[in-house]
Amino acid sequence: MSLLRLSSHSCRRLFRPEITAGYNIRPFGRRHESQARTDPSNEPAPKSSPSEAPAAKAGDSSLITQEGPLEGVASHKPDYNAHVDHGTSSFSPVPKRVMDGSEPGEAVPAAVLSGAPLDLQARTVRIYRPAKTATQSGDWHGHHWRMDWDVLGKGHRWENPLIGWQSSADAMQGTHLNFKSKEDAILFAQKQGYEYFVQEPNVRKFVPKAYANNFVHTPGKLKVVRTK
Amino acid sequence: MVINPTYLAQRTRTSASWNDAKRRVLKSYREWLRAGPEIQQMYSLNIPVSAIRTKIRQEFERHRYVSQLQVVDMLLFQSHAEFQETLNYWKQLSHVLKYFRAEEDPTARLPRNFMQGFLEGRN
Repeated sequence: MSLLRLSSHSCRRLFRPEITAGYNIRPFGRRHESQARTDPSNEPAPKSSPSEAPAAKAGDSSLITQEGPLEGVASHKPDYNAHVDHGTSSFSPVPKRVMDGSEPGEAVPAAVLSGAPLDLQARTVRIYRPAKTATQSGDWHGHHWRMDWDVLGKGHRWENPLIGWQSSADAMQGTHLNFKSKEDAILFAQKQGYEYFVQEPNVRKFVPKAYANNFVHTPGKLKVVRTK
Repeated sequence: MVINPTYLAQRTRTSASWNDAKRRVLKSYREWLRAGPEIQQMYSLNIPVSAIRTKIRQEFERHRYVSQLQVVDMLLFQSHAEFQETLNYWKQLSHVLKYFRAEEDPTARLPRNFMQGFLEGRN
């Protein structure tokens, strides 16, 4: 205890400028120790820099260019350089744009995380309201919104040579999703990176009629004489 | 009662900042690269280690421009899950070869341009 007090007394005179500077108080007699050991954030300098990375840079080749503001606009050309994943086959359509997480906005890029095959981002999805059953007058089915996958041009259906049953290369054939509202369906399609289009429902036109209007007085000659 | 985690299990955590995420990504990338020869030997792949490492690099580069930190966290989690499954021999050859379809399977490709797609009769 007394030793400590003595050392602190002697240290105070020598190390006052360092105390005000905020450095650690170095013990007396170890003045030549390097700063490196006591400095916690000191790491050996990196031997390479990011500019030396083996990936090709914009100046390397004329094939690699920085995307200008006009090119950032959604293009409707198919992207033949999209990467191949576990579901790609000779029936896969070519996607227009594959989601890669760099899209602006707060929406979750679910297509990146879900592990779904990239073919789904190439296929068009239709969002519509299923029509009322024509054979009945009740409309219990016509209130929700449905998302349906457009059929593939090739590989949609063929006759299986074994029995003659219908084979298909289309994983989403016969699949549909139901949503409570149109906005929900659109947000889902955007989140999953699907190409979608919305088909507005046909609204039934109903003219309110009253039988008494047949007998309303019109001045002048009647065009149609209703005698019956 | 002590629960012993499986080999290579990692505690779930989120990245505190982009710097933290960057460090975690680089650490994960290094682990994958170092595991390259072991994957080749374990699954008896006829693929050179350099090709495995190129594929690892490709998979990491695919998500280079992700802009949200939570998505990066999720990708890190998925990457480590794959790592654990691969090195614990929980996968089978077909699961590992899913990543090498472009090189191994001639039917797994997209056409180079419109004419080639049209002549093949693709969708």
